[in-house]
Amino acid sequence: MKEDEAKSAATVMGLLDVPPIPQTRAEAKRVRDELDTLLTEQLGKYASEDTSLVVFGSLARGEWTAGSDLDWTYLVDSQANSDHLRIAQKITKVLRDRYTGPGPTGTFGNLAFSHELIHQIGGQYDTNKNTTQRILLLLESRAIGTRTQAYDRVILGVINRYLEEDTHLLTHDLSHYRVPRFLLNDIVRFWRTMAVDFASKQRDREGAGWGLRNAKLRMSRKLIFASGLLVCFNASLDPELKKQISTVKSTDDDAIRSNLANHIRSLVMLTPLEVLAKSVNDYGVQESIGRDLFGAYGEFLSMLADEGTRKALAELRAKDSRTDPTFKQVRKISERFEKALDAMFFESALLGPLTRKYGVF
Amino acid sequence: MRMIGFSTGALARSDYRQALRMLADKDVNAVELSALRQEELQPLVEDIDNLDLRKYQYIAFHAPSSIEPAFEETAIKLLERVAARGWPIIVHPNAMHAPEAWAKFDALLCIENMDKRKPIGQTAADLVKIFDALPGASFCFDIGHARQVDPTMSEATAILQACSGKLKQLHVSEVNTQSKHDPLSLESMLAFQRVACLIPDDVPVIMESRVDETHISEELARALESLTPNAVLAMAGD
Repeated sequence: MKEDEAKSAATVMGLLDVPPIPQTRAEAKRVRDELDTLLTEQLGKYASEDTSLVVFGSLARGEWTAGSDLDWTYLVDSQANSDHLRIAQKITKVLRDRYTGPGPTGTFGNLAFSHELIHQIGGQYDTNKNTTQRILLLLESRAIGTRTQAYDRVILGVINRYLEEDTHLLTHDLSHYRVPRFLLNDIVRFWRTMAVDFASKQRDREGAGWGLRNAKLRMSRKLIFASGLLVCFNASLDPELKKQISTVKSTDDDAIRSNLANHIRSLVMLTPLEVLAKSVNDYGVQESIGRDLFGAYGEFLSMLADEGTRKALAELRAKDSRTDPTFKQVRKISERFEKALDAMFFESALLGPLTRKYGVF
Repeated sequence: MRMIGFSTGALARSDYRQALRMLADKDVNAVELSALRQEELQPLVEDIDNLDLRKYQYIAFHAPSSIEPAFEETAIKLLERVAARGWPIIVHPNAMHAPEAWAKFDALLCIENMDKRKPIGQTAADLVKIFDALPGASFCFDIGHARQVDPTMSEATAILQACSGKLKQLHVSEVNTQSKHDPLSLESMLAFQRVACLIPDDVPVIMESRVDETHISEELARALESLTPNAVLAMAGD
């Protein structure tokens, strides 16, 4: 399996072994299993072939620490049924006493419908909530339990929708897949939306939670963006995907699209850190850059795992950020992370041209 | 002419004789004898010699979709009589409790991909595992099940690519949200056409659409159209 290969390549390089990443990954898996057990005990078969419980955030990314929020949605891909809301409400009741979150925006902790996620990409009905759910579904989500059919279907449905809008998926000489532009542009849009929303939330919440949100924007949000770009760029760079071009007729658009959709699906099933590690490995990125990326990220996770540091960040206001010692550390870590990302995306012989062509203008 | 026909179970549930009567004057050259319920297996196997199957160039046999563990050995013994005729035996992966006991059927064991309600056998990854355990078995591609599992047909593409060397026959119908087999709609025909280029013309087609006798020929025509790459499908109502 492709996912297993990607994980093992990253493991060989040791990037995913940088502390505390192995611990946060193990904790995330433990909590996901615990969720399944808890909900099964309390509610029975809480998911079905048409509904999945999907988690996002640190729990999906394998970055779970003691203070992490639990962001989830009850994903529905079926005939309309008013009971779905009752199930989501029951899930809320079971989870709220044991876990923190979701936040007050309403993006999580409720229902999400496949039709909106798949049909409303762009245009005036693609709300901030819909965009967030859709992109995070692709880049940082996990279905809980074994009933994952609805989740799997919607992931492929969303990917296909993006690919259907790209007129030519292959290069002019039919030798390579092109970078899927519609998907890439939506990922870029989402990243900028997160940055804009950061300012909006600061105003709405009168500055509360500024430090923690800023740290996440510099690190975990940026990681999601980077992994999204890497997923898109991989379409043009993956040698196995390139080989598949010769197995289908150049006129068979459906098979060409399906192969790319399945390839993208296999990548988005990885966590953002796994995508990053695989890319460092596959694209011959300098070892020192890999060490800086994962070293900085490991330090960030260690800060979040420390109750006092997390609390200090959560209470920090913007006006104190220049002098606050905790935030000075965040800035130092995030600058190291950003510098390493810059080097990876602009100086790598494989990624550099794609970054300049698709990531800037 | 492509080999195409109906499953007796789709036309008349357990009344295979009635189904064969319905097909007698239709332009079909393939048939699948269905014993979808466990209790139907023995009567059908014992009656095969009495059925007039001369018009069919391709005959397959559908084993019960669910088999109790205690009945598995009996079922396999009965199916040996079917295998002796050289007919493919269509089996749902979840019906096999001891897969090693089924390996003796070799390529006549024809494993079908499943709908979204079944616990296994829905995806290419699932099927690869099943065929790893039963390397001699062949594959019955239920295109309606594949569409129900993934309407984009990306999973169907992956399945057909992963199992291309094993493809023995097709099941064609529209599988609705309750996992029932319905007549083909334009929506399902458009979806099937997306993978038609991956299905060789010599693979027999067995229809599983539940239609009455007056609609058999119409349904066969729709199936053939949906399996023709790049055919221009008429809009409903035209």
